[in-house]
Amino acid sequence: MKKYALFPGCSLEKMAASYYRSSVETTKKFGVELQELEDWNCCGATTYSYIDELLANTLVARNLALAEKEGLDFVAPCSACYKNAYFTNKYIKEDPDLWEHINYALEQDDLQFHGSIEVYHIIDIFAKEIGPEEIKAKVTNPLNGLKVAPYYGCQIVRPRKNGEEFENPQFFEEIIDAMGAEPVDFAERLRCCGASLIMTNRQAALEMVRVLLNNALNSGADVIATACPLCQVNLECYQTAVNEEFGTDFKMPVLYFTQIMGLALGLPRKQLGIGSELVSAAPIFSQVMVKEGK
Amino acid sequence: MSAKPTFSHEISNLMYKSHGNPTKSCIQCGTCAGTCPVAEYMDQTPRRLIGMINANLKEEVLASNTYWFCASCYHCTVRCPSQIDIAGVMYAVKRYSIWNKSYSEDLVGPAFSEAFVKIIARSGRSYEPILAPTYMFSMEPKEFVQEAFNATKMMLKGRIPVLPTRIKHIKNFQEMIRRIIPIGGES
Amino acid sequence: MTQTRLLIIDDDPDYVDGIRSILEKANYEVDVAYNPQDGFKALESKSYDLLLLDIMMGRGAEGVMVARKINKDPNLREIPVLIITGIREQMAFLFPGQAVHPRFLPTDELLEKPVDPKLLLEKVAALLQEAKEKKAQKE
Repeated sequence: MKKYALFPGCSLEKMAASYYRSSVETTKKFGVELQELEDWNCCGATTYSYIDELLANTLVARNLALAEKEGLDFVAPCSACYKNAYFTNKYIKEDPDLWEHINYALEQDDLQFHGSIEVYHIIDIFAKEIGPEEIKAKVTNPLNGLKVAPYYGCQIVRPRKNGEEFENPQFFEEIIDAMGAEPVDFAERLRCCGASLIMTNRQAALEMVRVLLNNALNSGADVIATACPLCQVNLECYQTAVNEEFGTDFKMPVLYFTQIMGLALGLPRKQLGIGSELVSAAPIFSQVMVKEGK
Repeated sequence: MSAKPTFSHEISNLMYKSHGNPTKSCIQCGTCAGTCPVAEYMDQTPRRLIGMINANLKEEVLASNTYWFCASCYHCTVRCPSQIDIAGVMYAVKRYSIWNKSYSEDLVGPAFSEAFVKIIARSGRSYEPILAPTYMFSMEPKEFVQEAFNATKMMLKGRIPVLPTRIKHIKNFQEMIRRIIPIGGES
Repeated sequence: MTQTRLLIIDDDPDYVDGIRSILEKANYEVDVAYNPQDGFKALESKSYDLLLLDIMMGRGAEGVMVARKINKDPNLREIPVLIITGIREQMAFLFPGQAVHPRFLPTDELLEKPVDPKLLLEKVAALLQEAKEKKAQKE
C-alpha cells in the first residue's frame, strides 16, 4: 500500500471536511493511504507570500520537512496549498543560500529540509499515479448520464509546474470519463473563481462566480466538480449572494471530484461527507442510481 | 557604481530572484489585460500598470487598486509572450506598498493580509472567526447580512470551527520565525 | 594613504542618497548596491573596509541572509557590518512595539532608521577603528 503524507491545510479541517473524508475513502479503494501530516502549520495560501516570501517559504518548508521526517511524499488537496508546497520545494532546491537560511530557521523546531520528497495535488494521485484505466476497473456504480463540469480553477495548472499543458489540459475530463460520467464542454473551466477576493473585493468575486455558474449551466452540467476547497466554498456557498446580487436563480450543486468518484466506487454518501452542502446535491441522485454501500 | 534606481528598477530589485523577466521586456500587447478575470474592476489594466511602472509613474502605480485586486490566478503569467511573471510583479508592488505604507487607505486587502500573517505567526494556523472582524466592518449592510447568513448556515452544517487550533510546539515555531524576521521575543 | 572604502547594500534609493552624501562629506569612498545580488558582486570585485546593510530587501528580510553568508565566508568575515534598518517600522503590524532582536543578527552594530548623521559617523569610525586594531593584533 503506497502511503502519502496528507497536508489538509486550514480549510480541510472543518470547512471542507467532506473533501478530507472523500479523499481518504476513495484513495483507500486503490490501495493508497493518506496519513495526515503530524503538527502541520498553515501554508499562507496566497495571502502572505507577497509580504515576506522568505517567511512564506520557511513556513511551507516546515511542512515539507515534517513529511520528509516520515519518509513520505506530500499530497495537498487544496490547490493553493499545493502551489505553495510545489514551488517552495522547487525554489529551495534551486537556491543554496535560501536552503541554508531556511534550515537555520527550521533548526529551532528540530527540523531540516533535505529536498528528498515529491509534492502532489490529490488530483495528480488519481490522474497520474492511479490512472484512468485503474479507476475504470474499480468503478462499481458507473455514473451513466451524469453530466459533470470539470472545474480546474487556477493553481493546479498555473503557474506551470513542469512544462505541462496549461491551455487545454484533459486529465480532469479523463477522470470523469473513467467514473462513467460525462465531462461536459465547460469553456471557462480554467478561469479563476475569485476566491481570494471574496473578502477583499466582493463585487468582483461574485461576478467571477456568476460567470462560472452561468457557463456551467449553459454547458448542460448537472454538477460542478472541483478540486480545491476555496473554489468549492466560493462557487457553492456564495450562490445565494450571487442570486441576490444579479437576480439569477442558480441552484448548481458543487461537489469535490473525490465525492463524485466515491459515488462511482459505490461508497455510501455519508462516508463521502455528502449532506453538508448549502446547495443541495439531491437533484443529481435522482439521475444516478446510486447503489450505496457495496 | 550603479546609478540611482528609478521606480521600475526598484520593482526589479524587489524581484531580483524572480522566476520571470523584469517588466522592461513588456511589449504592451495586452494579453494580460485580455486574460485577467478581474480587469474590469481594476482602475488600471495589468497592461497599463506595467506600462506605468516602466514609465516610473510611482505615485500613480501605488495609488492604483490593480495590484490589490489581483486574484493570484496566474493566467496572465502563463500567457505572457515576454515571460514576465505578471502575478509576481503584482506581489512585488504589494510588498513595496506594505513596506513603505503607501497603499490606498480605502482598500481591505492590506489589512486582511496583515491580520492573516499575525494569526499564523501567533498560532501556526489560520482561524476564520478571528479574521472576520478585519473585513466584516468594511462591508455594506447587505453584504454583512449575506456574510453572517452564510456563516450561520455553514456553522449549522458543521463547516466552521468553534475553537482555533494551534500547533504543538508553538514556542519553537515562533523562534523559527524570529530567525527569519529578527523582531520580538526576549531582549 | 588610500581612501577608506564603504559599501552600502540597501534597496531604498532616497535613503541611500542621504547617507551616501553624509559619508562622502566625511571623505569616505562610497559604493552602493541596491539588491543583495549586486551587493555580493561588489564584494567579490573589490575590497571594502565596512559594509552598511539594510534588512528588508528583495523577497523579505534578506539582509539577515546576507549578514550570515558574509559571516561564513573566510574572505569576507573580517569586514565590519553595520545594519541600518527600518524593519521595526516596516513589520510593525506583525510585532507592534517589539525590539529588533540582535541575537539573530551576526553583525557588529545596528542602527534604526532614521539615523542621526553624527551618530552614523561615530559608529562608522568606531567600527573601522576596531577592525584596524583586530587586524594589527593578528599581524
